[in-house]
Amino acid sequence: MGNPFALLGLAESFDLDLLELEKRVRDVQRNDHPDRASTPLERRLRMGRAVDVNEAFRTLKDDLSRARALLALRGFDVNSNEQPAEPDFLMEVMELREALGDAREAKRLAEVSKLGGQVEKLYTTTKAAFTERFAKNDFVAARSALARLRYYRRFLDEVAVIEDEAAL
Amino acid sequence: MSLLQIHDPSAGPRPIGIDLGTTNSLVAYVSSLGEPLAISDCDNEILVPSVVHYGADKSVIVGTRAKGLALDFPEDTIASAKRFMGRGANDPETRLMGAYRFASSEGPVVRFSVAGGAREVTPIEVSAEILRELKERAEDEIGQVGGAVITVPAYFDDAQRQATKDAARIAGLEVLRLLNEPTAAALAYGLDKKVNGTFAVYDLGGGTFDVTILVLDDGVFQVKSTGGDSQLGGDDMDRTLADLLMTAFEWSDAPSPSRVRFALDAARSIKHALTTHETVETELAHEGKTITFTTTRAKFDALIESLLAKTGLASRRAMKDAGVTAAQLDGVILVGGSTRVPRVRSYVAEVFGREALSDIDPDLVVAMGAALQADMIAGTGSKNDVLLLDVLPLSLGIEAMGGVVERILPRNTPIPCEAAQVFTTYAEHQTGFEVHVVQGERELAADARSLARFTLRGIPPMAAGIPRLEVRFAVDADGILHVTAKERVTGIEQRVEVKPSYGLDDAAIEKMLTEAYDHGESDIEKRALAQQRVEAERVLLATSKALDEDAVLLEEGEREKIDLAVKRLREAHAGASHRVIASRIEEIEHATHAFAGRRMDRAILSALRGQGVEKVEDETKAARGIERAHESLVYPTEKPATPPKDE
Repeated sequence: MGNPFALLGLAESFDLDLLELEKRVRDVQRNDHPDRASTPLERRLRMGRAVDVNEAFRTLKDDLSRARALLALRGFDVNSNEQPAEPDFLMEVMELREALGDAREAKRLAEVSKLGGQVEKLYTTTKAAFTERFAKNDFVAARSALARLRYYRRFLDEVAVIEDEAAL
Repeated sequence: MSLLQIHDPSAGPRPIGIDLGTTNSLVAYVSSLGEPLAISDCDNEILVPSVVHYGADKSVIVGTRAKGLALDFPEDTIASAKRFMGRGANDPETRLMGAYRFASSEGPVVRFSVAGGAREVTPIEVSAEILRELKERAEDEIGQVGGAVITVPAYFDDAQRQATKDAARIAGLEVLRLLNEPTAAALAYGLDKKVNGTFAVYDLGGGTFDVTILVLDDGVFQVKSTGGDSQLGGDDMDRTLADLLMTAFEWSDAPSPSRVRFALDAARSIKHALTTHETVETELAHEGKTITFTTTRAKFDALIESLLAKTGLASRRAMKDAGVTAAQLDGVILVGGSTRVPRVRSYVAEVFGREALSDIDPDLVVAMGAALQADMIAGTGSKNDVLLLDVLPLSLGIEAMGGVVERILPRNTPIPCEAAQVFTTYAEHQTGFEVHVVQGERELAADARSLARFTLRGIPPMAAGIPRLEVRFAVDADGILHVTAKERVTGIEQRVEVKPSYGLDDAAIEKMLTEAYDHGESDIEKRALAQQRVEAERVLLATSKALDEDAVLLEEGEREKIDLAVKRLREAHAGASHRVIASRIEEIEHATHAFAGRRMDRAILSALRGQGVEKVEDETKAARGIERAHESLVYPTEKPATPPKDE
């Protein structure tokens, strides 16, 4: 796919304004979209690029894939099955997951919400940690921050599912 | 302002936009002035009821006339075929209250048993009849049609979209794009209002519900998220009322198709009446029984509350997916006839915290947007065209080990898009591989919508686990999936066979195309009828002109005979037989023969009295106008175009 940042003309940084990203995609597509082609050949040529632009958009829109793309650009490939090494962290996550499981069972939605909020804070601070470490070229540390983000994300996804189910 | 547009026969084919709706369909095009215009028939009707009647006499009737036959022939008259597109024969839709006879078929697609049981048709063929009708209407208005943009609900899945494309193919229409209905509506609005911002489109039609959040920014409409329910609409509101009616009539648990059709039609009328009246009391009579049925708006509102709650849920989820709150929206647009229901409007105001916009006719706005998009894609549009960037409405996934869905492309991914997955073989020298693709947000494949099974063939025989089968899942701008595969070790492109779960394969479509030519007795009849009608109009015009100019030449009793012939031709014109029209044209020619002769004699006489040859020729031509009514010298070849409403 190449460099998604370069494709959209954006700086290679983890901090990214999502609205700015969407606007950039619109700007790029405005002139180059296949629907604006004048001939069928031109349309075919532009189609591939439109797919690339959309893929770059998808990669950069999501925190995890954006982080992964940044590390990849620095030659640091991240395996999505990578486990964070820190046992303390794993313990912390396990306790949170247990608490979530209990709250879900007992249908204590307020508690589910509270746990969600807790993990969101952890998520935000870990994001900041990633930005800092990446900027310092400490890619190993950045990668472990990414691994944590992955766990937090999975937790938050589950909170969302529980809340959705309750809304039904 | 209404302009008489003279069709230039040397101009190229024109693209059209089609709203293929559950209840009504229509066709529009963009005029040379850049205005989207809906095309009406000779009775100035724009909407074509999405109803097709298959008579036992092999006749196929589409639209208002078909609707009129529904009560007498409930099983042979199919309405709301859109609800069955891309559905299997066992789909719950087939078990909802309805008047149809389903064929117990081999094959996965739903089939209706029509024409008194003599013929089976799929919803795709029914839709093709409607599309054919719209195409002909467009051809009558603008000449050759150069491709169409056809709208579909944003929440239509791949099978439903493919079915729509198949219907267009059978109807002989080139599909330029399948366009999502809310996006089409937003386009028509955006061009009208020219205001940038973030908008929600709440589209509640006869059979489907869509909610879309999009951003309009300097000529680009970008969809942020979309949601909905492709089996939720006005028809379901009708069913709740119809239930009450059937109870009131004391009809048993399994009412006849005729009773069901009667109840559904009456329910719809009552629903419409409740839009303007708080209480509705009607007398209903069927099969010799008469009842007085009373209901109130409050009662109806209670009946539809759970339906509306579903739309609210989808709306909130779409806003969440888009990352916007209701307060951040710059406007909400209402689309679809069902948004005329007062409770729907107040509910939408509750969900979005504001009153919605509905000043463009909700019945026309989608077709107009489609026409504008058609213009752009066909290249006939202007530089002011708005670019539409849409998204995939439902996640695409494959069935992985243990029956779990592995998501490949998540919902709301901007299209066109692609994703690749690498697989390998389980057995030694395995040369084939099957991938089961599903759609939706469910965790288990058994709960998701099965899309198709893609079988890769021609894998070079290798040891188990060695091949690298790279399968590319590409979704095009129509929202339709295409699968290609390559074995990376050898670099060999794989042949991919598609077996749609709820669709027609190419062989079935080819068969339908051939059948369309056979049953094209009805096609030929329709063509002939259209042509004779035009001929009749010319004759009537020429006759009335001649009577105006030279009534003094008429002899005793002639006028009455001519008037009678004119009356009979007018009746035939309104009828369905081209042969009758042809014979009544002959009747007029016979009745005016002597009169025409006298006009010609006089023309020649005045020429002999010294007038120029050209003038004689002109007058002779005019006099001959009655006898040889095929010159289009004075008769415009287009009806005046209907301007869109603006309030």
